[in-house]
Amino acid sequence: MKNEKWREETGLRAVEKARSPSDFIDVEHGLVDRKIFTDEAIYKDELKRIFGRAWNFMCHESQLPEVGSFFMNYIGEDQVIAVRDREGVIQVLINTCPHRGNTVCRAEQGKTRSFMCAYHGWNFDLNGDLIGVPGLDEFYRGGLKREEWGISKAAKVQSYKGFVFATLDPQSPDLDDYLGWVGKLGLDLMGTDRELVAVPGVQKNRIRCNWKLAVDNLFDWYHPKISHASAIRSGFFDEKLLYPADQMVMLGEYGHAVSGPKITMAEEEALAALSDSERRAVFDSLPGQSWRFTESAAETLGPVGIKSRGHPNIFPNLWVSTGGTQLCLRVPRGPAVTELWWFTFVDKNAPEEQKRKVVRMATHFFGPAGLLEQDDGENWNHSTRTCRETMTSSRRPLNFAMGKGQDMVEVDPSGQSRVETVINEHAQLWLYRSWADWMEAEDWPALIANHAAEPRGRI
Amino acid sequence: MRIASESNAGTRNPDGLPESLDAKVRLQYEVEQFLYEEAALLDERRFAEWLDLLTDDIHYWMPIRRTTTAKDTENEFTEIGQMAFFDDDKELLTARVRKMAVGYAWSEDPPSRTRHFVTNVRLIAMHGDDITVEANFHLYRTRLESEEDGWRGRRQDVLRRVGSQFRLAKRHIYLEQTVLLSPNLSNIF
Repeated sequence: MKNEKWREETGLRAVEKARSPSDFIDVEHGLVDRKIFTDEAIYKDELKRIFGRAWNFMCHESQLPEVGSFFMNYIGEDQVIAVRDREGVIQVLINTCPHRGNTVCRAEQGKTRSFMCAYHGWNFDLNGDLIGVPGLDEFYRGGLKREEWGISKAAKVQSYKGFVFATLDPQSPDLDDYLGWVGKLGLDLMGTDRELVAVPGVQKNRIRCNWKLAVDNLFDWYHPKISHASAIRSGFFDEKLLYPADQMVMLGEYGHAVSGPKITMAEEEALAALSDSERRAVFDSLPGQSWRFTESAAETLGPVGIKSRGHPNIFPNLWVSTGGTQLCLRVPRGPAVTELWWFTFVDKNAPEEQKRKVVRMATHFFGPAGLLEQDDGENWNHSTRTCRETMTSSRRPLNFAMGKGQDMVEVDPSGQSRVETVINEHAQLWLYRSWADWMEAEDWPALIANHAAEPRGRI
Repeated sequence: MRIASESNAGTRNPDGLPESLDAKVRLQYEVEQFLYEEAALLDERRFAEWLDLLTDDIHYWMPIRRTTTAKDTENEFTEIGQMAFFDDDKELLTARVRKMAVGYAWSEDPPSRTRHFVTNVRLIAMHGDDITVEANFHLYRTRLESEEDGWRGRRQDVLRRVGSQFRLAKRHIYLEQTVLLSPNLSNIF
């Protein structure tokens, strides 16, 4: 009924009239207009208003071990180079020569002394300064001030526990404030008291889908039983692991969220009954998880966070995955193309056998050949494709209403808030609601003033 | 196909391959026939029979390739033990085949239509029962209405003589793509 009413009010005619991004998201009924997944103009606006303003994940500090080490990434569709400069500081340079726009770096990673443009030879220091111009005296004859023509850089580069982020917007809050407690918890779920190092090799592959559908799927605990049925039926995954009944959702400012399974009372009791060494053995059987049973984990994650086994997303597009051993970046490459970049981490000080297990698990679960992930892409592809169609399907909003209006946000004395419930779509709807906030705001001060606060009470 | 026993191979070169042209030609023929038959099994989706061609210690591996500068090409491919697209043993390959057979394996239901092309087959070395073979491949896939993917690259295989037959003991697959342009890798190379 609600759905019918929505169609009446915001059918094709109304959508065409829609002027404001929030017109596409019906938070009250949990409905999202399909247009946001395919529209070229909306996508171009996202590149500016979301990726152009957000803190974007670049790499892990361990990927830049030495002066001159660099790793290529994207902010929206702008190619950027994260590089360690001569002072040891990580810089993020926009990969375009200010002279004719050519790229100054063509390798996706490596080590260099400088970045020289292959077109006319302008040469840039690791911090972006222009240090060499062929014919500076003979041809420019004093008409070019080198200090004015350094390479463009990200406005700010900051790290949280070794994870490097950059923003193009000088007005953005600092990374800590941007992440807030939910974003920080998301990254803290990569582990405490661990010296993480990136395993060489970032798996990258291209899926024909809108980036938001790939992001909303990471919160989706409804799909595994069906999408990944063959992995379950062939005995590779425990159904209970992929379809856990007890769920916990944490929703943070600016769109960050953690959603997924919660360690249940029964599990807690069973664990409490074990000796310390037995407990360790349980977590050791899950590669890379033994850190979760430490006092520092309890302290860092907090009384609510420690119970989460869910999937965090650092808005807009960084999935903290696989129990603290992997990150997956959803890189937009057009309205209907997204690249998945998998970064894998091990604890430098873990036994070799543990590290091998982490790497093997990462290869076998996720990535394009992963027994789980290989069945995802086509769904997202078709979800995107049908949103492009012009007749009935595009008039009908998508349904993100699972659990809508039926759950309560509870606040722990520690200040951590969460929803404890069954499988739901709260985090997905939060993602789209936050998306509208970002798309509406003219600039960072407006976004700070007008974004949805962490929800309280009924949700 | 039955193959010649090792003792028929005659004298050997330092790479372990037979010296006489006749023996070399015969070996080349036997190796190629094995690779073609194997490719046909995959294209005909006779995966259980394909599994029978593998030794128990097979290593099926596809490293990640990266765009590097010319002076850094030693870092182009990831190494064994680092991240890879495939790093499978027989158990995992068996699980992949089982997964396709249990139903609801959406990436292969409806099934992909594949065609394996194996060319430029070169015998690299022979040590004991193991023959190292390099070949170029093109795996073409189309799915559903109009999905199309293609992968080209080089394979380094080890074929092992077991009795009167070859078995596949190693397959290392080196793709030309760095960013994989396909939505997944649900087919066998």
